[in-house]
Amino acid sequence: MTVADALLLALGLIAVGSGALVVTSSHLVRAGFYLVVSLGAIAGLYLVMGAELVAWVQVLVYVGAVVVLLLFAVMLTRAPIGPSDDLDRPKAPAVIIGAGVGFGLTALLADAFRWTEFELPPPGNAERVGEQVFGAWVLPFEVLSILLLAALIGAIVLSRPDLGARVDPSAPEPAPPPDPVDESAEVVARLERIAARQAAAQARVRQARADQEAAEAAANAPAPEPEPEDPRRRAAHNLIFEAHDARPKIGEPGQAEVIDSRIIPGESVVESEEPIERPARQQPAIEGNVVEGELVEDKPAAARPDKSGIEGHADRLALPASDDEKEQ
Amino acid sequence: MHAVIPYVIASLLFALGVYGVLRRRNAILVLMAVELMLNAVNLILVAADATVRSVLAGVRPEAWAYPVPEPRSGAIFALFIIVLAAAEVGVGLAIVLQYYRLHRAVNLDEVVLDEHDHEKQVTS
Repeated sequence: MTVADALLLALGLIAVGSGALVVTSSHLVRAGFYLVVSLGAIAGLYLVMGAELVAWVQVLVYVGAVVVLLLFAVMLTRAPIGPSDDLDRPKAPAVIIGAGVGFGLTALLADAFRWTEFELPPPGNAERVGEQVFGAWVLPFEVLSILLLAALIGAIVLSRPDLGARVDPSAPEPAPPPDPVDESAEVVARLERIAARQAAAQARVRQARADQEAAEAAANAPAPEPEPEDPRRRAAHNLIFEAHDARPKIGEPGQAEVIDSRIIPGESVVESEEPIERPARQQPAIEGNVVEGELVEDKPAAARPDKSGIEGHADRLALPASDDEKEQ
Repeated sequence: MHAVIPYVIASLLFALGVYGVLRRRNAILVLMAVELMLNAVNLILVAADATVRSVLAGVRPEAWAYPVPEPRSGAIFALFIIVLAAAEVGVGLAIVLQYYRLHRAVNLDEVVLDEHDHEKQVTS
């Protein structure tokens, strides 16, 4: 009996004992935690037998991932705190078959190996396992990765009910899960009370706001009357009086006359007449003879009536003078 | 190291797994028992890797039997089985959750295997 034997026996006892608790415990969650203990003890067995990488992968994948997944499934389906009484079937056939399997395997292996002593292999490291996996076993390794991908996709497809679901026209509408609000009369009564209180408070606030608005409207009633009329009236006023100011006046020279008087035959007047924002490219064409001629012809034609009016005026003024001369 | 110790432990664990699969009604507990069985098989593989090789140490192997100079196939098989078990648990739990979503229960006794859900609803 060596140290390795003692370790194997102790770890094996832990593994088998917690394994027995896994399959007999009436607590769903506790079974998961006993499974953690059992898998950890098996990882210790791997370590004793020199399979280091397998032991750490066991801890990583089984204890870290698989058991957590199982506990998640327990929580998602049903998470009873206390013991559940509907976990088990009748005991007799399971005990018979399990004991038969255990006894048969134990007898077979014990008879095969007797109490023979083997020397422990040197502790394996990850380098040797890596050489093997990527050397002789590379094809199973790749197939396994494809299988993992397929399992991943399959799990996703299975957990989504909208993927590949067959519609059953004859099936009745599935009953919705029970709503906790509907079940409890106390909750309903409390919700109704809260709703009534909120409605009363809202009505009060609305009433107060309406009163305040009415008071403000009464206070501001005369003030806003001239305001909306003012801009239009001012605009109309401005329009009328500007037109009045801008109309041609008899005594003063018209705008055309002012421009006419300023005409100096040449280009400068035409430039002053032209708008500044015109592109500079067009200016020479306008400065040409045609534009100049038009301007020179146009302005006297437009100014002539005024001049004739003034001349007529002068004629009329002259007539009394002649009359005066005649009288004289 | 007495090789019979890990072998007996593994066979006891396998028997416990068989007992759990037959006894349990809850699908998640059945999956746990299946994990126990898979671990028993892993333990046998690792133990065989540790013992059989030491027996065959002086034997000149055939070339086709050992494609690599130093076999360590038991541990690699154990690794592969761990990966397979992870994939199995993923798909199995997806099935269990989907079944729970449809029927609000995970009792394996009530699973109807020989007729479709639609037919069950029509006939019952």
